Amino acid sequence: MIPIKYNIRNLRVRWVTTLMTVVGTGLVVWATVLSFGLSDGLDHALRISGDDLDLIVLRKGSTDETSSNIDQKLAREVANLDGIARDNSGEPMCSAEFVTILTKPRRHDGGTTNLIVRGLQEGGRGLRPNFRIVRGRDVRPGLNEAITSERMAERFENLALGEKLEINKVNFEIVGYFEAAGSAAESEVWTDLRDVTSARRTPGALSSVNLRVRDEQSKLALLNRIRDDEQFKLDAVDEMQYFEKQMTASIAIQFVGFAIAGFLTLGAMFAAANTMYAAVASRGREIGALRAIGFSRRSVLSSFLFESVVLCLLGGVLGCLATLPFNGLSTGTANWATFSEITFAFRFGPIVLLRGVAMALTMGVLGGLFPALRAVRMPITSALRET
Amino acid sequence: MQTMVYVWRNLRRNKLRSMLTILSFGFSLALMTVLHGYMAMQGVWRNEGEKHGRIVVMNNQGFSGLLPIAYVDRIRGTPGIEAAAPYAWFGGNYKEEQMPFAQFGTDPGSVFNVWDEYRIDPEQLAAWRSTRNGCVVDRRLAAKRKWKLGERIPLKGTYYPFNLDLVLCGVFDSPMNTDSLWFQWQYLDEGLKLMNAPGAGNAGTIFAKTARSTSIARISQTIDDRFASSENPTRTQSEAAFAQMFADMLGNIQTYIRNIGLAVGFSLTLVAANAMAMSMRERTTEIAVLKAIGFSRRRVLATVLGEACAITLLGGVLGISIGCMCLQALHEVNSQFFPFGIHEMLGPWLLYLLAVSAGIGVASGIVPAVRAAQLSVINGLRRVV
Repeated sequence: MIPIKYNIRNLRVRWVTTLMTVVGTGLVVWATVLSFGLSDGLDHALRISGDDLDLIVLRKGSTDETSSNIDQKLAREVANLDGIARDNSGEPMCSAEFVTILTKPRRHDGGTTNLIVRGLQEGGRGLRPNFRIVRGRDVRPGLNEAITSERMAERFENLALGEKLEINKVNFEIVGYFEAAGSAAESEVWTDLRDVTSARRTPGALSSVNLRVRDEQSKLALLNRIRDDEQFKLDAVDEMQYFEKQMTASIAIQFVGFAIAGFLTLGAMFAAANTMYAAVASRGREIGALRAIGFSRRSVLSSFLFESVVLCLLGGVLGCLATLPFNGLSTGTANWATFSEITFAFRFGPIVLLRGVAMALTMGVLGGLFPALRAVRMPITSALRET
Repeated sequence: MQTMVYVWRNLRRNKLRSMLTILSFGFSLALMTVLHGYMAMQGVWRNEGEKHGRIVVMNNQGFSGLLPIAYVDRIRGTPGIEAAAPYAWFGGNYKEEQMPFAQFGTDPGSVFNVWDEYRIDPEQLAAWRSTRNGCVVDRRLAAKRKWKLGERIPLKGTYYPFNLDLVLCGVFDSPMNTDSLWFQWQYLDEGLKLMNAPGAGNAGTIFAKTARSTSIARISQTIDDRFASSENPTRTQSEAAFAQMFADMLGNIQTYIRNIGLAVGFSLTLVAANAMAMSMRERTTEIAVLKAIGFSRRRVLATVLGEACAITLLGGVLGISIGCMCLQALHEVNSQFFPFGIHEMLGPWLLYLLAVSAGIGVASGIVPAVRAAQLSVINGLRRVV
């Protein structure tokens, strides 16, 4: 084995070339990891939105809350079904909700997009992961008040604390910001059920019933009970599955990420090969000497391959580190399932970072292979004779 | 001229290195071409929307708002409007597929006056008008699905609690693939009324064709003013602005593409500069000789810069070609998201990418070129490589 120190010193001696190659690889890894960070963030937001014990009851045939509408009487019957969990004060954990989408302008000339406004009952708060008010206060029914997340306030006009959101000529004052563990709920504006339905001039309208079941067993029983009842004409969906279905947008982003990764890996691979060919060409005599003093072909090959991998991995790690400032940065895109904006934070989970490192590794191995092969193919005598 | 020959010879001297640099450049630029092609596609789409002088009316609260069907007649009566039709999105499932193509409920009597560049056989149009549950589809959609006239097309409502049982009455030709099916708005409305379901009487959106001479901004304002104090105020915009709204929904794609482009561009500069520097290091003595026999500084500078630019331009041409092929392939695979073939998107953006390639060539060659030009002849000759 040729000592690793040999490669490290070589990289250091040609530090300008090394630096340029490392920064070059780092940049392409950065661009790719950033794209994967987007889809990971979106996936994460949707995944934590679902709870294993939560069900969403919709009109039969409709696929999401924005296109569903159910009768108030039926909603009450659903709320009285057996198997629904109870909170600390003994109330059933169940909330009849009304969802509507409004086309509203983003801040900073970001164009208009659709915004989800949800009217819900008190019990709905407990159904969202870690719901809590972080600034201001919760809404008081009957006063046309609304709450939203800080992310939405930054993203949309008229959603900051104290500002007024117009819904069909009725002004809803934003009185607080809430958090819900970064779930999809944080992409919505919440208000009182009655206030929003009367503003929308559809009093009594409901979109869905959200509820939590007692346990797995009662979940199955409730699912069957609701689905099979001819009179209900309702469908109950598992909340986890409901949000999983919305991941189409993140699949599209992931596709873009892989396309970027593919093109840039190829590009950077050739660049790495270039650097390594130059390294081999300028070290002909060294290679000859190494072989002459007894290092096998295999150890020369692995030594050069190792050098190439180190070169690219340095870039890969640099690229991954450079995404750190973006971690947690919030952004948003269209959720085509609900036809509205979903906000989420960039997230660089282990899989995303591993993809970046794997990309660098591919470049290093494939880019270094042919130069390393050239190095070992040189006959010792002519290598030693090189200038 | 001689400089060009010299540049060409230099390029071919280390063929492997030149090839690797060109390939590296090419693949990265192919990505840039695809990304910029996407933006160009949005631009073509907007132009398409401006060409025909159509406006789109919707409830000012958005798509979920009510747009009473009576508005269609009132908009028809507005001076400067030639035709108007309701255009209600249905979004149903076909057999087991979820929303595999676009479906709209509209008025067969006026829809081909609003989209007057679309062509349909008059007999087929007459058949559609007289068939309550009839529908017409884009010829390309019919071909893709292998539908024949008289085909039954069942659509299961998701947004509406009403299922359509449609019969294919005709196919229409449009300049670009719309991937759309049109059925009678009345058919849907009657179904909803029978079921006493919400959503009856809603035109969804209204598309209208304006007379060539009228200003779209003014006529939009007239329409919005008229409904401003009603229960359902409207928001009227040009077809182009309407299309832009969908592009906007995706978020700030432009900034994203620009940032990726910046990173890739910078990385490419480093790659090309690295290759150039490696070449120059090997040629120190040679440059000294050139200068000794009378090559001017300017000529040496031009030679080196020329070589750098030649490499990046060749890489650029390669990359743009690969990128264009990818865009064409995307169009052929999914014409709903990529409605334009590459020949419809050719434009200045390709020249821009070529200019970027040349720019990167200059940026990557400048340091080695200046160093070569300033090389002292004596030192260069003395150096033994």
